Formats: sequence, C-alpha cells, structure tokens
Amino acid sequence: MTALVLAGLLTWGVVVALDLVSGPQALLARPVVAGTVAGLIAGDLEAGLRVGMLLEMFALDVLPVGASRYPDYGPATVAAVAVVAGLPWQERLGLAMLLALPLAFVGGLAMQWLRHANARAMQDRVAAVAAADRRAIAALHYGGLLRDGLRGAALTGLGLAVAVPLRGLALPPHVATLLLAGAVGSGLAAVMNGALRSTGRGTRARWLVAGLGLGGVLAVASGAWR
Amino acid sequence: MKGGLRALLRLYYVQAAWNYERMLGIGMGHAAVPLLEELRTLDPSRHAEAVARSADYFNANPNLAGLALGALARAEHDHVPGAAVSRLRTALSGPLGALGDRLFWAGIVPALSALALAAVALGAGWWAALGLVVVYGVIRALTARWALATGWAEGLQVGAAIGKSWVPRSAERAGVVAGFCVGLAIPLAATWLLRGAGREPALMAPAVALAGLTLSRLVGPHHTALRFGVGVLVLGLLAGVLGA
Repeated sequence: MTALVLAGLLTWGVVVALDLVSGPQALLARPVVAGTVAGLIAGDLEAGLRVGMLLEMFALDVLPVGASRYPDYGPATVAAVAVVAGLPWQERLGLAMLLALPLAFVGGLAMQWLRHANARAMQDRVAAVAAADRRAIAALHYGGLLRDGLRGAALTGLGLAVAVPLRGLALPPHVATLLLAGAVGSGLAAVMNGALRSTGRGTRARWLVAGLGLGGVLAVASGAWR
Repeated sequence: MKGGLRALLRLYYVQAAWNYERMLGIGMGHAAVPLLEELRTLDPSRHAEAVARSADYFNANPNLAGLALGALARAEHDHVPGAAVSRLRTALSGPLGALGDRLFWAGIVPALSALALAAVALGAGWWAALGLVVVYGVIRALTARWALATGWAEGLQVGAAIGKSWVPRSAERAGVVAGFCVGLAIPLAATWLLRGAGREPALMAPAVALAGLTLSRLVGPHHTALRFGVGVLVLGLLAGVLGA
C-alpha cells in the first residue's frame, strides 16, 4: 500500500469523521459509503463494498440521538478497508473487523471527549457570547470543527498504523474462517437486533417480516446465495 | 428573508460545536447571525440581545432545526418580548428532537442505508453508495429549505404549523418503511457476504447470529452488538490459535 493511498485514506477518514456529527451529515460516515470510497481509493472496490456492507449491519443497530454515546464506524471502516484491500477478502475480512469494532468504540469515546472539550472552550468565551460577540460565536463554531477534524485524523491514523502491519500477518486458514464466520454472524445479530427493537410488534413487525420474505426470495432468485 | 441562503448553509454544520451544556446552541447562534444582520442597522440594541439569545441552550434534530431558527429569527424581527422568544426556543426543543429523530434517524436513514445494502448485494456496486448520498442529499436539502421558510413565515405560530404539516405523519410512516427495507436487506446482505466464503462460514455465521440475538433478549439493554462482535472475534481467535 503506497504512501499516496495511505494519505488518501487518511484524508477520507477525516471527512467521514466530520460527517458523523459536525457536518455536513450527508451520510458519508455510513459504512456502506465510507467503505465504497475507501475501496476506490485503495484500488479494490470489492474490499470496500464487503467491509462497508458488514459494518453497515452493525451501524443499523445504532440510533444516534442527542447526547447518547454511540460508536463511530466511519474511520473504523476506512482502516478496515486498508486491511483487506488487494488481498483475498475471505482471509482478511474477519481480521479487519477485529480492528474496526474496537476502533469504532474508541471513536465513540473520542466523541465524548470532543463534547467536553467544546464545553470547556465555551466556558472560556461565555462572557463574550453573552455580550453578543459574533466573532466569539464563530470561533467556538469553527474551533469545534477543527477539534472534530483532529479527532478524525487521530482515529484514522491510529487505525491505519495498525492496519498496515496487519496486512502482512499470515493467518492459518481455520483461524481466518472462524473470524469470518464470527464477524458475519455478529453483524447479522446486530442488524436483526436493531430491526426487532425498532419495529416492536404490530404493523411495523409485519412489514419487517414482509421485507425479510421478499429479501429471501430475491436472494434465491438473484443467485446471491450460491 | 435576508441572509436565508447563508443561514441554510450554516445549518449543515449546526452541530459543529455540540457540547453537553448548550448542545446545538452555539451552532444555532452561528446560523442565526445572517438572519439577524438586518436588525443591526434597524435596531442595534435589539440586535445585540437577539444574537446573545440565539446562542443559548437548544437541542433538536439538526434536520428540523431550521424550523426553530426561522421562527426565532422572525420573532426577533417582530420585536416579540425576549422572554417569549426564549420560551418559544425551549418549547420547540423537545418536539423537534423527537419528531426529527423518528423521521430521520429511525426512518429515512436506516431505510435508505438498507436499500443501499440490498443494491450492493444485487450487483449495483459503487452506484449504491452514490445513490444513497444523492437521494438523502435531496431529501435533506428540501427539508431544510422547507423548515427554514416555514419557521420564518409562521414565527410564534410555528408549533401549530408543524402539527398540521407533513412531518408528524411522515415520521410514523418512515419507521414502517425502514422496517420493511431493513428486512429486505438482511437476507440479501447475508448471502452476498457469505458467497464464495466456503461451507464452514456459511454454516457457522447463522449460529453466531442466533446466539447474539438470544443473548440480547436475555441480557437486555446492557448487551450491545459491538461488545458481542468483539467478544465473538476474540473467542474465535483464541479458539483458532489454541486449536492449531
């Protein structure tokens, strides 16, 4: 993996970290988007799609509301693509999740740090804000953006620093198989758990079942199961 | 509405200074500055009060924050007493948070993300990601424009306008659509991910999923997918290494 590709992934990691909360919240931080673009940057679209799809299943379990703490899957997706790109995905996808899931958790912790840092910055300028100093408001606003960008750079940098040596790690086939099955199985558990929790019972549950049925038929008809 | 476009663009970054004390407050203050600019020459003392008030505590879903932004700026222009402006701000926080979260975070976002997963599984490739970003971008831009314009037009009456609008009905329907789309995506995504992986992962993954679901039913809200995933992978690694 060249320095140029790593620089591209680092830049993209910062963009997706900013997109999660600070802005523009254009869904760039969704793993299916973050992974696809990371795959294109790394020259292996399929690796990006597979990592993005698997982590999207985890992300669908998350309701990112208000002051709650939730994992940041964006930089984690970018780092995971760096583990898989250009290598056989069957051997690398589980290993990539072993990096991505803890990194997403650390990303959630880093978000809490950011919120406290923004509060401290506001305390320093509270008198200026009360005096309607527009420059103080703008400084707080752009300061928050800058801090979030640094958070994204640190997370993605950490992820890539671990990902590069992981690329050279040779896993015995049975270990890679266990990791792949565990990763896909826990992703499935995540998305189903999220779906059951948000639909509950009644009309919503019936539509969930209808979707599952149609999805099953399409999976068979399209040959995706083969 | 002078400064509407600048305010609209600033709403895309309204959460940049999100913090536990004022939540969206600073972002709302930053977005309100262009809308309050006219008051600066017309009524400088009111302008200063309005700018300071605009950065007070506020929380809402960022996609519907424009309703409050427009209504509060309009109230300042209409010389509504400051205490009433602050009461409106507080009153809008809860409903705009609950409605927006249901409409976007529990409805539109999971529905579109799940459709993107299904599209990838059916062979759409990178078009799936592009489609997700473009469709959501259009929905979000139209919503933000409507929200700011409605808030500005209605002022203090914005609460009633929200109640009569498309938002409450759509929030209810969006959850149903999301359930269907996520259901649709699950079998497609699972089969696509396991295709070409061999027989063992295809047999083991459903068993792991069943174990995760059972655990979440037994343990309840303390169980998270992330913790379960990390636990399963660490166990898999240990089992593989020790069994070698």
